[in-house]
Amino acid sequence: MSFSSLDFYLATVVVIFGVDVLSAWGLNLQYGYAGIPNFSFIVFQAAGAYTAAILTLGPMTATSGQTYVAGTHVPFPVALLAAMAAGAALSAVIGVFAMKRMRADYQAAILLILALILNQFIVTDTSLFNGTSGLANVSRPLGSLVNPSTTGWQWAYAALVWAICAVVLFAVQRLSRSSWGRALRAQRDHDAAAAALGCNVVALKMQVFVIGGAIAGLSGGLLVFYLQAFNTASWGYEETLAIFVSILIGGVANNWGVILGTFLVQIVFVEVPNLLPQFGYIGLVDALEWVVIGLLWMAAIALRPQGVIPERRVRAERFGLPALRRAPPVAAAAAAPGQQGAHEERLGAAGGASRR
Amino acid sequence: MSSVVVESIGFGIVDASIISIGAMGFSLQFGLTNVFNIAYGTVLTLGAFAAYLAEQWGVVGWYDVLIGAGVGVIATWLIGKGILATFARRNLGLFELITVSLAVELVVQYSVDAADGEQLFSYSFDQGRALRFLGMVFTVTEVEIIGVAVGAFVLLECLLRLTRTGKALRAVAEEPRLARACGIPTSRIVNVAWVLSGALAGVAGVVYIINSLTVSAFTGTDFLPLLLAAAILGRAGSVTGAVVASLAIGIATQLVAAVGGTGYSTIAGFGILVLVLLARPGGVTSGLALKTEVTL
Amino acid sequence: MLAPGDLRPLVEVEDLVVSYGAVRAVDGVTISVAPGEVLGIVGPNGAGKSSLLAAVGGQLRPTSGRIRLDGVDVTKLSPHRRARRGVVRTFQDTSEFGRLTVFENLLVAGLGMHGASLYAATVGARAQARRTATAAARAAELLARFELEPMRDTYAMELSGGQRRLVEVMRGLMREPKLMLLDEPTVGVAPHLSEQLRREYRRIAASGVAVLMIEHVLEVVEEVSDRVVVMDNGSVIAEGTYDEVMQSQAVREAYLG
Ligand SMILES: Nc1ncnc2c1ncn2[C@@H]1O[C@H](COP(=O)(O)OP(=O)(O)OP(=O)(O)O)[C@@H](O)[C@H]1O
Ligand SMILES: [Mg+2]
Repeated sequence: MSFSSLDFYLATVVVIFGVDVLSAWGLNLQYGYAGIPNFSFIVFQAAGAYTAAILTLGPMTATSGQTYVAGTHVPFPVALLAAMAAGAALSAVIGVFAMKRMRADYQAAILLILALILNQFIVTDTSLFNGTSGLANVSRPLGSLVNPSTTGWQWAYAALVWAICAVVLFAVQRLSRSSWGRALRAQRDHDAAAAALGCNVVALKMQVFVIGGAIAGLSGGLLVFYLQAFNTASWGYEETLAIFVSILIGGVANNWGVILGTFLVQIVFVEVPNLLPQFGYIGLVDALEWVVIGLLWMAAIALRPQGVIPERRVRAERFGLPALRRAPPVAAAAAAPGQQGAHEERLGAAGGASRR
Repeated sequence: MSSVVVESIGFGIVDASIISIGAMGFSLQFGLTNVFNIAYGTVLTLGAFAAYLAEQWGVVGWYDVLIGAGVGVIATWLIGKGILATFARRNLGLFELITVSLAVELVVQYSVDAADGEQLFSYSFDQGRALRFLGMVFTVTEVEIIGVAVGAFVLLECLLRLTRTGKALRAVAEEPRLARACGIPTSRIVNVAWVLSGALAGVAGVVYIINSLTVSAFTGTDFLPLLLAAAILGRAGSVTGAVVASLAIGIATQLVAAVGGTGYSTIAGFGILVLVLLARPGGVTSGLALKTEVTL
Repeated sequence: MLAPGDLRPLVEVEDLVVSYGAVRAVDGVTISVAPGEVLGIVGPNGAGKSSLLAAVGGQLRPTSGRIRLDGVDVTKLSPHRRARRGVVRTFQDTSEFGRLTVFENLLVAGLGMHGASLYAATVGARAQARRTATAAARAAELLARFELEPMRDTYAMELSGGQRRLVEVMRGLMREPKLMLLDEPTVGVAPHLSEQLRREYRRIAASGVAVLMIEHVLEVVEEVSDRVVVMDNGSVIAEGTYDEVMQSQAVREAYLG
């Protein structure tokens, strides 16, 4: 592999990594904090991607070579915002019935099937987004600043993606540590009790479902401007499973841990094999990847259904209570040295994991 | 009625026969264990592949159904007692169990996919001549498929209504706590359900391949939503319900296919499952009591 | 102290029926509780006590009958709306928020509907901080009172059964209840804390709260309740003071036969 193709590849990996981290934060908000088994997450990313694409492809003409609806030209930032709005709007529509109180496995099944339905629908009705072939020739944004056909552009775009990641991380952390985030976690652990304490559980779930959907839409918009193309094969339900596995491995309700999980799953397991010399027939590596994802999933659930890196313990000191004279009994057993006085600590990250 | 409608009903009845064989099995399994076992779809695939391989080795015709049933029982036993029960013992919730079964589905499906080189395999089975009946057209084989479904239904109903084991099975499906309190050996009865549902899934897979003459790693997975919809619409645990619901779903999807093409018929099948799950949210929705116990 | 029964009832349950499919768990129950009164509910397993409580709390939709709170019909009101009208409850299977610390469990209760508001958490952050500070102070006080201070940063799922029950009761006390629904609130609680809990229930009632308590331990019922209702098979079979109902023939039959 020559240097320039390695450079190209690296930049691509950095962009994809950022997009995957964004999605994982969105899903973690829904699943990790709120307990919503959103198996159709990837659909909201697709909604963002298609929206961003048609809003910048321009009106469809006879020479477009592809069929789509509502083509226009809007500036890049507007297209990104529209992608967010599309993810949020679709979430709101689906959330109206999927956020009702029901068995967790039924909810998971409903969302999973919805992902299949929507994918099949786009395949079948080619007038919307060009069916299985999908949309192509999306032009790279910010071309007036950097030449879009250089790796310089790629690195600039990677920087933009990660800048957006930083903003989203800030927002997600603020939200999840707020009183609202606490109520989310409370209803996740016992919805009837949360309702009995005055929390409107359905509204809470609906809000987090829409916010997660907006983040998914944003990630889809960022992805399509990099890839310049998007089709139904990019958003099979299996993609959602990969995000779930990154969350389970990185840490349920732990946004920093999710970065690690995404790196391990989406980069080490999914992207790096593309770098290796291909073997077997085309598609063998992909098939084996899904086998590995499934095995990882089972291993993660078997070891720790709450995630390998647990969520952070919120200590009462943060709310102005005096420090305890001695550490609480359970935490004392699990705490790693050097954590005294920290406002928030990871529970048993060392002790808990090594027990297995 | 226009002839298109009548013909679609004919196709629907054949589809319904295949769906109902799988749905009866899923209904029994789900009704007893309360685990939403998505990996049931791969059992269908494995049954169909067993028939394909049997044909390659010279075992042809309806014997393949028996082979499929055997493979189905073994695969279901391994998935249910080997994997799901192990996970259930760790006190995992319904969500974790459905995800484990989904992961099993993923692993088996893509292992098959990797092993077979992502191909669509064709199977040959003489479909016989066409028979006309009330404006509907059936091949001899299709009539035989309907016969297999009816036979399976009658056998199962006899088993459930006339034998001690069958009555115990129904009791556990209706009121697991009460049944246990009455001294019914729940775990043995659940084992019977695993075996029966495995056999039915295997048979469904073989009948599917006899009808469609092709099989791939995704055959069972693609077909699964219809089975689930039929089993849950017909009330988990009720064999009769599963059959009636299968008829409704088979005919409805064929009618959609006649009007809008196969793409929309797939969507309709999936849509029915979503509606069914929304309409039966699994117990008293506003209350404390969602049925969350599993028996494995 | 207010003499119970002098006041208009705070909660009135009228001819209530709760069914699970074909099973009628509660079959035409009529009861009422006045402010300041503790009504004990006893009865054999499966009598329908928890189902009755769930209907009053809003967790179960009754098949028929009415529930009035402070004179207002709340039969169709969702649980969180009833909570906002001053209903708190504990559950028979403890309902702690397992992956929240004990302290956070109390904060969620203290903030109630404001805690679940996205607006209050973002735009209204300043008012929310004030509410949070008030709730934190109250939580600290309760933690000290119930000797749970050392456990305040422990995840609720790591507590013992008795401690979890205590957390549930404390969550109720974080709010300003008008009606407290307790489902077997002393099971598994250490003896000296159980005693303290009983004093607490009397104290809460004395401050004008109506208390509806399901309890299997007859001593507790005798000590805490002003009035006792005995249920069997979904119906009320006896009602009166503790001594009155214990002498009733129907009650003896229900418990022995
Ligand atoms: N979710 C449910 N589905 C079906 N039946 C139920 C359900 N919950 C309770 N029941 C039935 O309703 C009846 C009343 O139950 P309930 O829990 O209200 O009784 P209880 O008096 O609280 O009993 P215990 O003292 O055991 O707590 C019982 O026969 C029980 O089997
Ligand atoms: Mg009870």
